[in-house]
Amino acid sequence: MSQDEDNLIDVAPGVPHSNIVSETVAYVIGLALALILTGVSFWVASTSTLWGPGVAVGLIVLAIAQMGVHLVFFLHITSGPDNTNNVLALAFGVLIVFLVMVGTIWIMAHMDANMAPDPALMNLQMQH
Amino acid sequence: MSVIFGKLTWDAIPLHDPIPIITSAVVLVAVAAVGILVWRKGWWPYLRDEYITSSDHKRIGIMYIVLALLMLVRGFADALMMRLHQSMAIGAAQGYLPPEHYNQIFSAHGTIMIFFVAMPFVIGFMNFVVPLQLGVRDVAFPTMNNVSFWLTASGALLINISLFVGEFARTGWLAFPPLSEKEFSPGVGVDYYLVALQISGVGTILTAVNFVTTILKTRAPGMSYFRMPVFCWTSLASNLIILAAFPVLTVALGLLMLDRYLDFHFFTNDGGGNSMLYMNLIWIWGHPEVYILVLPAFGIYSEVAATFSGKPLFGYRSMVFATMIICVVSYCVWLHHFFTMGAGANINAIFGIASMVIGIPTGVKIYNWLFTMYGGRVRFTVPVHYLIGFMLLFVGGGLTGVLLAIPPVDFITHNTLFLVAHFHHVIIPGVVFALMAGYTYWFPKAFGFTLHEGLGKAVFWCWFVGFNLAFMPLYVLGFWGGTRRLQHISDPSWAPWLHAALLGVVIIGAAIVLTVVQLWYSIKTRDQRMDVTGDPWDGRTLEWLTLSPPPHYNFAVLPDVHGEEAYWMRKQTAIKEERLIDEPDYQPIEMPLSTPVGVICAFFASVCGFAVVWHIWWLAILGLVGAFAVFVWYAWQDEHEHIIPVDEVRENARERRRIRMENLHKLSQST
Amino acid sequence: MSTDAATIGLTHGGSEDTGLGHRAPESKSIVVPYGFWLFVLSDMILFSALFATYATLVNATDGGPTTNELFDRNLVAIETMALLLSSFTCGLAMIAAKRKNMTWTQGWLLVTGLLGAVFLFIELYEFAKMIGEGAPPQRSAFLSAFFTLVGCHGAHVFVGLLWIGTMMAQIWAKGFKEHIMRRLLCLSVFWHALDIIWVAIFTIVYLIGTLP
Repeated sequence: MSQDEDNLIDVAPGVPHSNIVSETVAYVIGLALALILTGVSFWVASTSTLWGPGVAVGLIVLAIAQMGVHLVFFLHITSGPDNTNNVLALAFGVLIVFLVMVGTIWIMAHMDANMAPDPALMNLQMQH
Repeated sequence: MSVIFGKLTWDAIPLHDPIPIITSAVVLVAVAAVGILVWRKGWWPYLRDEYITSSDHKRIGIMYIVLALLMLVRGFADALMMRLHQSMAIGAAQGYLPPEHYNQIFSAHGTIMIFFVAMPFVIGFMNFVVPLQLGVRDVAFPTMNNVSFWLTASGALLINISLFVGEFARTGWLAFPPLSEKEFSPGVGVDYYLVALQISGVGTILTAVNFVTTILKTRAPGMSYFRMPVFCWTSLASNLIILAAFPVLTVALGLLMLDRYLDFHFFTNDGGGNSMLYMNLIWIWGHPEVYILVLPAFGIYSEVAATFSGKPLFGYRSMVFATMIICVVSYCVWLHHFFTMGAGANINAIFGIASMVIGIPTGVKIYNWLFTMYGGRVRFTVPVHYLIGFMLLFVGGGLTGVLLAIPPVDFITHNTLFLVAHFHHVIIPGVVFALMAGYTYWFPKAFGFTLHEGLGKAVFWCWFVGFNLAFMPLYVLGFWGGTRRLQHISDPSWAPWLHAALLGVVIIGAAIVLTVVQLWYSIKTRDQRMDVTGDPWDGRTLEWLTLSPPPHYNFAVLPDVHGEEAYWMRKQTAIKEERLIDEPDYQPIEMPLSTPVGVICAFFASVCGFAVVWHIWWLAILGLVGAFAVFVWYAWQDEHEHIIPVDEVRENARERRRIRMENLHKLSQST
Repeated sequence: MSTDAATIGLTHGGSEDTGLGHRAPESKSIVVPYGFWLFVLSDMILFSALFATYATLVNATDGGPTTNELFDRNLVAIETMALLLSSFTCGLAMIAAKRKNMTWTQGWLLVTGLLGAVFLFIELYEFAKMIGEGAPPQRSAFLSAFFTLVGCHGAHVFVGLLWIGTMMAQIWAKGFKEHIMRRLLCLSVFWHALDIIWVAIFTIVYLIGTLP
């Protein structure tokens, strides 16, 4: 792997490709960022200083940021031309994940809202 | 219930039901006869080394198609039984199949046709053709390819075992809860269904990983994305959809298994379960599934249209874009399978519009095929019959699809015979005709001789007439209120329509019989139709560069690709200049070894699957451990490849060059 | 176009041509991890279906225990730390392996495995505690969804541990050959992906699930 490293035009996901110090530093930075973001997540979830409905959104944003840190610092997914296939595959995966999750939640919420009332409740309503 | 045998007892064998017992006896006798024939003629070493353990994509492709054709017989038998029964169960008549059997038959028909006929057939073609068209030696992961095939075969085996040990599901081919839950389906039928599909599903996902990697990362030098044949583009799209959709199927079926085996409450009526969630998940898979089947079929039509019109495909770029748009939009329409389940008007409207939108890129493709043929010198070979039959019929089927995409219409036609007619109307001309065309088109490449043309046309006409007769009446019956899966027909005025449909199915049966006859006769008289040059159709893509059948390694030297239709350019230059390209520098070739790991892993998977169905826990664990152990043993080996010496490569290549040079004038058929 | 690069099978190749799509087949060290990346993405789609299921059923408690009554954020914090650190040590193992250093590679792999085992131990403890408190997966749809989502992730971690053990044995027996390195790379991609899924789990299931 070392001799075609310099000629590596297409890069496998997860391959580190520089010297030992810079590689290690990349992981340390990644760990530090992830720790910070995780800590903030736990804090956000337990504090009352933030506006209620915003907390869930904030947590999702923090989670996405953490995933980004993992992708960039641990998996080395970058936007270079040698990484295009890897990024495209990831983008496709993210699209499908989005469709499955948002689609399901949206559809099932509507189904739920349109369900007939509880039989007991229905009886009550019928009896006037 | 015992520890050693689980739920399995002698009662599992349906001694009192004549149809399964007679069928099983016939199958066992046939298998034994084939086994004895193979043993007596000494064919076993060849079969073992050249097919069963082969990691050659061409051999694996052939095995997939053989599996598909065998399962077609069973799926078709189910169809014939259903039609026959319905014709005999009108008014006072009761037919010959009690409901609990009839329900198993329509469930088996759907399951087998989609999972074990259409999928293996399509995957078989992608296996055989894609590496040849890309100008490479094999797929990215040849051994994993072998494993994928055997896992699919394992699923098929379990479905067939259910015929004579136990029963099959009575729930329809998608096993909706709560009917498929333990409370309402306590037998082993649904378990057979779930286990078989989970095992073959693993194989299918591995195939998708294999092909997406192959198409994106391994192509001949100079073959950029827009120089790939359209069949490779459609294979890419189809495999991307498999990668995206099959995990959701795994989850849906897996959750149902958890409900049945561990008393979870995903889809049960009690405990907060939500059976509508199953519908949502299964159709997130189910709709993309039909595009998995139809996109490669469209790819086959593109190849056939271009080759037999003697012209390049019209609108190559628009074809590619249309394919990739369908790939993405196919994942945005799934709710149209349950408009009536109560999501409300807004959601129904959005998914209805999306379902109509997906007709647009499909229309683009139809126009492209038409314009490919227009202005060309069309040769009316058997594949072109299927192409034209497809274009005439599929548009109708697609239009009924657009009708169904209108939610208020769907409220009336959902789950009626109108729906049954629609999906057969798109899948038979769309997928089955393409498979028959592809079978005829690539048969000489695989075996070195073409099929008999006259018999091929007879097969086509039986399919064409039989299909129309079998399914057009169902549209009428659907509008008249006929629901699907009826075990008894109460309205006698439906009789002529049902009888016409039965006649149609019988004619389709004639098509299948004639296919077998055509194969037998073609083999018998093959010397009259040998494919000497490797290019019997004046083809345009790289698979026609090799001799028929190609050597294991496909190409002595990977072809340099300089433009679209690489092979066509090269061929025209050779014919014009009356010489081949300069002899290249031959090198030894490294190819993967054959391996038994696939068939052994699948054996353990089948054992585990059977044990899970019958609750024989010790055997299930043994099967699982066995499969894992085989995998670890294989991974521990260091030598997975062998070298083909340069002398052999050179000799084969020179033989090919000699034959091509001698027959240069024969290659061109369009003047 | 150089013929030697292009002719020899699948295990070599990759010409000097620049630009995507014009090259000969890529080498195995590109092809194998890419295929594995695709598999990991399909696994993420599998988890998305489980997440969607969980989101649909999170309130279907059937009168039984709810998220607030069951989840302990402190335990989750420890689990998260363990898995995150194990991702980091896995990265260090890869750096050592690239330099073909047996001691450090095996050492960091062992630490990764131990941290993963800690994670699993805490998770199993949590599951056992819930079952003991009358909240087994059979109690309600919500619990079925919780145990399946989190349990599926745990099962993946378990498979990862088996894989780490197997890789340690293979490296010991065979050294840092090319195919061993490829497998190690796939293992690290798998291990990091597991932590990505865990980020989603602890955020959605444990944090958002227990908001006041």
